[in-house]
Amino acid sequence: MTIDRVLWMPLIFAFLCLIPCPKRMTRLTFMTGAILSAIGAWLFVFGASWSPRVFAFNENLMMDSLSAVFVLLITSVGVFSAVYAGGYLFKEGDSSISALRLRRYAFFFHLFLFTMLLTVFSNNLGIMWIAIEGTTLASAFLVNVDDKKSSIEAAWKYLILCSVGIALALFGIILVYYSAIAQAVAGESGLLLNWTFLLSKAGQLDSQVLRISFIFILVGYGTKAGLAPFHAWLPDAHSQAPAPVSALLSGVLLSCATLGILRFHILTTAATGSAFSGTLLILFGVLSVAVATPFILEQKDYKRLLAYSSVEHMGLAAAGLGFGGALGIYAAILHIVNHAFTKSLLFFSSGHLLHLFQTKEISKVKGIFRKSPFLGIVFFLGALAIAGMPPFSIFVSEFLILSAGFLAGKFVPCALLLILLAFIFIGFLRHANRMTLGVPEGPPPVAEKSFLMDSVLGLGLIVIFVMGFYIPGPFQRLLLDASRVAGGAVV
Amino acid sequence: MSPELATSLIHFLGMMLLIASFWILASPQIGTCIRAYATHSFLLALITAVIAVTNHVEHLLIPALLTFVLKTIVIPHVFFRIIRRLGIRKEVESYINIPFSLLLAVLLVFVSFYVTGDDKILKPVAFSEFIPLAISTVFFGMLMMTTRKKAINQVLGLLLIENGLFLMAITMTFGMPLLVEMGIFFDVLVAVMIMGIFVFKIRDAFESINADDMTVLKG
Repeated sequence: MTIDRVLWMPLIFAFLCLIPCPKRMTRLTFMTGAILSAIGAWLFVFGASWSPRVFAFNENLMMDSLSAVFVLLITSVGVFSAVYAGGYLFKEGDSSISALRLRRYAFFFHLFLFTMLLTVFSNNLGIMWIAIEGTTLASAFLVNVDDKKSSIEAAWKYLILCSVGIALALFGIILVYYSAIAQAVAGESGLLLNWTFLLSKAGQLDSQVLRISFIFILVGYGTKAGLAPFHAWLPDAHSQAPAPVSALLSGVLLSCATLGILRFHILTTAATGSAFSGTLLILFGVLSVAVATPFILEQKDYKRLLAYSSVEHMGLAAAGLGFGGALGIYAAILHIVNHAFTKSLLFFSSGHLLHLFQTKEISKVKGIFRKSPFLGIVFFLGALAIAGMPPFSIFVSEFLILSAGFLAGKFVPCALLLILLAFIFIGFLRHANRMTLGVPEGPPPVAEKSFLMDSVLGLGLIVIFVMGFYIPGPFQRLLLDASRVAGGAVV
Repeated sequence: MSPELATSLIHFLGMMLLIASFWILASPQIGTCIRAYATHSFLLALITAVIAVTNHVEHLLIPALLTFVLKTIVIPHVFFRIIRRLGIRKEVESYINIPFSLLLAVLLVFVSFYVTGDDKILKPVAFSEFIPLAISTVFFGMLMMTTRKKAINQVLGLLLIENGLFLMAITMTFGMPLLVEMGIFFDVLVAVMIMGIFVFKIRDAFESINADDMTVLKG
């Protein structure tokens, strides 16, 4: 496999999904597309031929171990999400969605995967910008599948806020490009926006300009990554999108934007030789956790609860990156991975909940254990996991992030984080208790069983449980390599 | 073209560009707004072309041409189609009245000249007077997005921001690499199409295209 082939797969399947045919065929193309793209990407990532980095398309695209981690993330959550959607959206019956809409959904789904893969593969920072803007455009229609008032509102906010945010990031990129040109760094002009090239010449770049540009990038991509106070679009889009899309948005879209910030963080740190960008990341990270806490404690809608929890976890990851050191960066990347799997699992179970209870309000959901024991167990354990309960994987990475913070001597932010995390833990436990225990109101469950949807939940639970104490060898090596790259090592 | 002529031409075009930005904010009707945007983009294309010719950076002519075709002809055309199909000829609705928003705009121009006055950090490759103009265009776009009620004006504001950033890139670095520039044009075009579709969806669901009707989602 090569980078181009990994990128071509979802693009081809996007257009294959558009072919007018019965729902069943679309569903088959849609699901096999996601699975085949994932297998292709995994073969590429775990094949030995790319290490330490491989270029494509005139060095505009690149894969290093950092992008490899994100490729794994995108394709794995992509498969989960596609299989779940296969059961969730493509169901037959009177509440079913028209075939045309489903084809469009499948098309944009694969396009969305394509733009995210392009984001993590870009070496050219301009192309990365184009790809991130592309993710917004591709997913706007995914957020609004049912044309309800609230979904249109959510999609519109998402489009407008993210586009403005990303426009600011473009300003930052112009500044980076300018700093490369102004210092007359030797080299072809075509290379001047390439991350690898800029990193190798980092010492010659104007550190003042890079600092300004990092602020713009942080605000711009931070909007996309859901860092407070730029997160206004996030709870709306996540709560209105159908469950499989919420899982993708929260699990991997936010992670991709964080990768964008990380690339610039590495560059700025190398060029300025200071902790400027790291300090900003800690500041916005802690702020995100702090802003999310009251909304988690007092939330009335369980999908918004999960969305605010994404703000919290992205904040934690940003803080981990800011703490730095080999441990901090490793912990932050691990946290992004763990969050992606845990949060997508919870969003999938929110799809089940919506089927079962026909409401998104926490107060109207009672007694999941009695109504559906399997869903109850998954949701309860998932909620414990996302709140940071051992032995689940999120606990490990949160613990490592905080250890890195204490090691780096950042006692005040760490103490703040600990207090806030305790509150969030209480909040989640309270909500989860209310929802899972008790006697259900209303009629007995009428929801039809879907083997596909249940199997996704089961698999997801196993993944987050196992990742808590065992990370498979090749993946662990990949994570370590990635944190070395993120630490600024020139390979 | 002699350097003196080029300089005065650039000065003149810069002035016109600022006037066009004010025109967008000042026009009370959506149709005029779009025409003002088209004029703004046309001037932008001219400036790009003049910079390309005077500084012998011929690759800039391609973005100049694209700006002309896309932003002066195609996008305004799309906008006119949208408002014709929506059947709105009414005036722009704003949270603050137009004289006040013009006052704010003047303030923003001062701010952008002030923040870029110190030329120690930014030394543009061409015509430094465009930097504050570019920044004020970005500010104008933001002002437009925050104060106007109609969804379609928000899209226009976004495009204005994009114009400002384009001008910034042109003057600071003679434009981004061509591949990136093309990608940005493509994104802008797709964004306008998608937002256009959403404007119709908003109209159908809310029976108006006022963005301040969208208050379902909170907390």
